[in-house]
Amino acid sequence: MNPLTQSLISGTMSGAVYALLAIGIVLAFHTSRVVNLAHGESFAIGGLVAAVLADAGMPVYVYAPAAICASILFLLTVERFLLRPRRTWPVGSLILVTLAAAFLTRGVLQLTMGVDPLSFPRMFVGAPFRIAGGVLPPQGLVLIVVGLAAAVAVTLFLLFTPLGHKLRAVAENPDTAELLGVNVDRARSLAFGIAGGLGGLSAVLLVPLVSVDYQAGLGMTLRGFIAAALGGMAPSMAILAGLALGLSEALVTNYAGALAQDPIVFLALIGVAVWQSRKIVFGGTGRA
Amino acid sequence: MSKVLPGIIVTIILGILLFLAWEGWIAGLTPSTFCATAFPALALIGLNLIFGVVGMLAFGQAAFMALPAYFAGIMDRMGVPLLLALPLALVLVVLLARFMAEILVRLPGVYLAVGTLGFGMVVEGLARAFPAWTGGASGLVFEHGRDLGTAAWCLIALIALSLGIASYAWYVRGAVWRRLRAIRHDELAASVLGIDVHREKAKIFTIGSAYSAVGGLLLFYYVGVLIPEDAGVVRSLEQIGTLLLGGAGFLAGPIIGAFLIDWFFVISGYAARYELLIYGATFLGVVMYAPQGVSGLLIRPWQRLLGKQSATAEATEQAPRAPIASMSDGDDVSSCLVLRDVSQAFGGVHALSNVSFEVKSGEVFSLVGPNGAGKTTLFNIVSGILRPTSGRVLLRGVDITGLPVNRRAALIGRSFQTPRLVPELSVLANVMLRADQIFPRLSEAERRTIALDQLKIFALEGLSYQTVGEVGLGQRKLIDIARAAVGHPPLVLLDEPAVGLADGELSHLSQMIGKLSAQGCAVVIVEHNIEFVSNVASRGLVLDSGKPIAQGALRDIMAQATVKAVYFGALS
Repeated sequence: MNPLTQSLISGTMSGAVYALLAIGIVLAFHTSRVVNLAHGESFAIGGLVAAVLADAGMPVYVYAPAAICASILFLLTVERFLLRPRRTWPVGSLILVTLAAAFLTRGVLQLTMGVDPLSFPRMFVGAPFRIAGGVLPPQGLVLIVVGLAAAVAVTLFLLFTPLGHKLRAVAENPDTAELLGVNVDRARSLAFGIAGGLGGLSAVLLVPLVSVDYQAGLGMTLRGFIAAALGGMAPSMAILAGLALGLSEALVTNYAGALAQDPIVFLALIGVAVWQSRKIVFGGTGRA
Repeated sequence: MSKVLPGIIVTIILGILLFLAWEGWIAGLTPSTFCATAFPALALIGLNLIFGVVGMLAFGQAAFMALPAYFAGIMDRMGVPLLLALPLALVLVVLLARFMAEILVRLPGVYLAVGTLGFGMVVEGLARAFPAWTGGASGLVFEHGRDLGTAAWCLIALIALSLGIASYAWYVRGAVWRRLRAIRHDELAASVLGIDVHREKAKIFTIGSAYSAVGGLLLFYYVGVLIPEDAGVVRSLEQIGTLLLGGAGFLAGPIIGAFLIDWFFVISGYAARYELLIYGATFLGVVMYAPQGVSGLLIRPWQRLLGKQSATAEATEQAPRAPIASMSDGDDVSSCLVLRDVSQAFGGVHALSNVSFEVKSGEVFSLVGPNGAGKTTLFNIVSGILRPTSGRVLLRGVDITGLPVNRRAALIGRSFQTPRLVPELSVLANVMLRADQIFPRLSEAERRTIALDQLKIFALEGLSYQTVGEVGLGQRKLIDIARAAVGHPPLVLLDEPAVGLADGELSHLSQMIGKLSAQGCAVVIVEHNIEFVSNVASRGLVLDSGKPIAQGALRDIMAQATVKAVYFGALS
């Protein structure tokens, strides 16, 4: 077995997940100006719900949609009941609200789902594919294909459909969009709903290969945010950035060991944050 | 408020708490809970400074608590004597914080949040990755703390926390308080007032992290063990929640928050399973429904009661008359502002091309043109917010093209289209903000006199002690303009001063502008109200799509056919 090929394969798998998470963060950010720090909780919720339902003996065509619906419902709740009533608040306070929501969700998940990592059987079984000394399980292949396809689909939806144009109009200028007859609240709900769906989908695809526990959310938020920031908060670039992040993480793990992963990845995050924000002066207060 | 009074009051309250704990008169409050709470409270003072007062979203302060303990513990194992290791560890962490601050404070809002979160994860990850030094997941054990008895620890806790609060109260008052709130509210407006925003934020981040470091070092030597989670993100977020509960930005916020949370957990019998849930629910509840926390709830009735009294008390306070430094006196430079071939391009868009003009001292000059003509861009170049792509800006013969915004404050006063005042501060404090920066050597009382005189000159002194939030929009604009003229800067820039003013306020504004020019200030106005401009300004420049199309006496240029076509064509 070739460890380099293997790490490239696993890097592509996690990269597809980061791309999905990044797109969700970008969508929510553009329509609401808020970096949703509770975004990764949609991954944790989706994964845990799927695991619990699968454990109770439900078939895959029940627990997978149910998990994705739970994730969608979660982010819709965050948008509708936490953010929408406070749309006049400064962005910093809204970020705190999403952070608090992430914290509370973590507490609820700890109580209801326990502290042990959970998982559920792979949906796609069979002999793994062998590529240049690396092993790719069928579930992994599906994860990469479906994940990237969903990411591309959302990007195309934003670029080429009337509804996608409305979302982008809200992102660029909510007041003008409102004047032009776009229902800003509905657009935001739609954005958060799609984001939740992508979070749930990534959990359903990835968790059978690894596992998930109540505290998985924040790490996922941060990785999604790194990918989003790396891609300059543009959905199309977020796909590439997510893949780049997944691959570099896997390479770090391969060459420097698993324990080095967090420090190195988050040092990279600080670097990216500095690089991305170099043009923003004065806290982005905008036109003077 | 006196400089030392808050420190004395807090020390007395803490002393009483310690006495109650010692006697065991309050359920759940024992000497050991007192210590285990006092040290985190001390660390929270730092977070209160960084997050509560300045509003930086610092989500990694737990790392700054754990790091000095790790450093000291590692040095201890290497055989460094304890009395050397402790201060050395603190110095190292403060230096590290200074270095991180240099990077982090340049990041706007959410990038700072994620950068600090990332920093916490780096520290936690490193603590796990090097178990030989840090003890890994089972933790680093500190033996020395046990040598001290409970009584000694209680005394240390009492002294350290009292000193912490007292030093905070001593530092964060008067001009420093105003400056920090101005930065929190509006960084751009703060730098136009002359505040070096990045330097101030880096300073606050370093000082705040020093509080965190001292609190953390004492805490972990008291508790005796330090695990990687103590440096991590969850702990940092718990601190934010605790501070918000106590009241972010309030002197007593850290103490109230830390004691309430700890006492609650002791009373409820360390319901560890519910810890996250309780923190989360408290955090969310406070953020959404009581952003000012318990301190805010406690203080509100008092404010209502004391509001009027303190205002009158302040008004009767004796203040010595300050020498009003005038920068325009005796300086015989008739040409004040000169622009030479100034161009500005954003990407491929030419916002300004080859603009040249000259404004004399005492002259009122108007920039005219339709929306998007480049007037605000021009203002931003003159005030230093933008650096022109090419061309020169001279003020009284000195090239200021490359001078940073905050260093132009003494030379240039600027008002904004929408007044950018700090709503929670009084009108007087807002005007003092500029005096603070221009006259740093003068005493607080002298700067107060300058600000009061300024408000008197512009007939706004009746509003001095109201908070800006209570004042109407028109008056806020006049206050913003009065503030821009504090200290008689040679040049005053007014961005659409007449918009949103009622008729009475308009004539008030005309008088104000007349006074400014009589004092020798050069006044440059961007304004759409042609009638108003023709009354106050003598000369002007017409811009269209970034190009100067006419310049000269206002009546002449407004009569030109091209100007009419551009300007009124665009309006209709």
